[in-house]
Amino acid sequence: MQLEYFHMIDRIVDLNVDEKRIVVEATVPKESTIFEGHFPGYPLMPGVLLIESMAQASGFLLLGVLKFERMPILAAVKEAKVRGSVFPGDVMTLEASLAHEGSGYAMTEAKIRVDGKLRANSALTFTLIPFPNSDMRGYMDAVAKRVGFPQQAVSP
Amino acid sequence: MSTTFDQVATIIAETCDIPRDTITPDSHAIDDLGIDSLDFLDIAFAIDKQFGIKLPLEKWTQEVNDGKATTEQYFVLKNLCARIDELVAAKGASA
Repeated sequence: MQLEYFHMIDRIVDLNVDEKRIVVEATVPKESTIFEGHFPGYPLMPGVLLIESMAQASGFLLLGVLKFERMPILAAVKEAKVRGSVFPGDVMTLEASLAHEGSGYAMTEAKIRVDGKLRANSALTFTLIPFPNSDMRGYMDAVAKRVGFPQQAVSP
Repeated sequence: MSTTFDQVATIIAETCDIPRDTITPDSHAIDDLGIDSLDFLDIAFAIDKQFGIKLPLEKWTQEVNDGKATTEQYFVLKNLCARIDELVAAKGASA
C-alpha cells in the first residue's frame, strides 16, 4: 500500500468473474505521514481508508466483470462498520462480491479481514461511467498490471 | 395483489422517506418528489429486485439527453409503472 497515493491494494489473490467475487491483499505500511496524525503514539488505519480499500477491491471486481469497458466510481456508502482496528504492518485480506449490477450502476458488499478476523465491512454503490479519457484508461491499465490483474480479464 | 404503482410507491416512500400519501400516479419522481439521481439508483435497485428486471436507466437518460424523450415519459410514476409492466411482460415472453 502507498497510502499517500491511494494505492490501497497490493495484489489480486483471486478474481472470479463468473461468481462475481474478488479477493485481494494489502499490507498496511509500517510508516506513513498519515500515522503521524492518526494517532501520535497509537498509529491506526483511518476508517475512511478502510472504506476506500473496500471500494478499490470492489472497483477491481467491477473492472473485471465489465472487462474494462466502464470505470466504477464510488457513489454511495450504504453501510460501513469498522469492527476492529487495523494497525501498521497488518496484512489485510479484502473480499468483495457483486450484489447487483444495474443499468449504469452496481452495488457491492465488501469485507476486510486481518488474520481471519473481520475488521470492517461495507455495502457500496458505484456509478459505471465510460473512461473519460485515454490518460485515465492508461493509468488504470498500469494499476491493473501493478496488482496482477488477470490479463485475460483486461481486454474485452 | 398490489398494483405495480402500489409497489413502486411503497419502494419510493421507504427508500426516500417520502410520505406515502403524497405519492400519486401523476407524481414526477424528480420534479414533484425531489428524488435526485443518486437516490433514484436505490429505487431502481429495489425495483430491479422486486420485479426481476433491469430498468434501462442508461438508455432512458441518453434518450432524454438526446432530446428523443422527455423525463415525463420515464419519471412520471404512472409512465414508469407502464415501463415496468412492459419489462416484466417482455421477460415473461422470453422465459
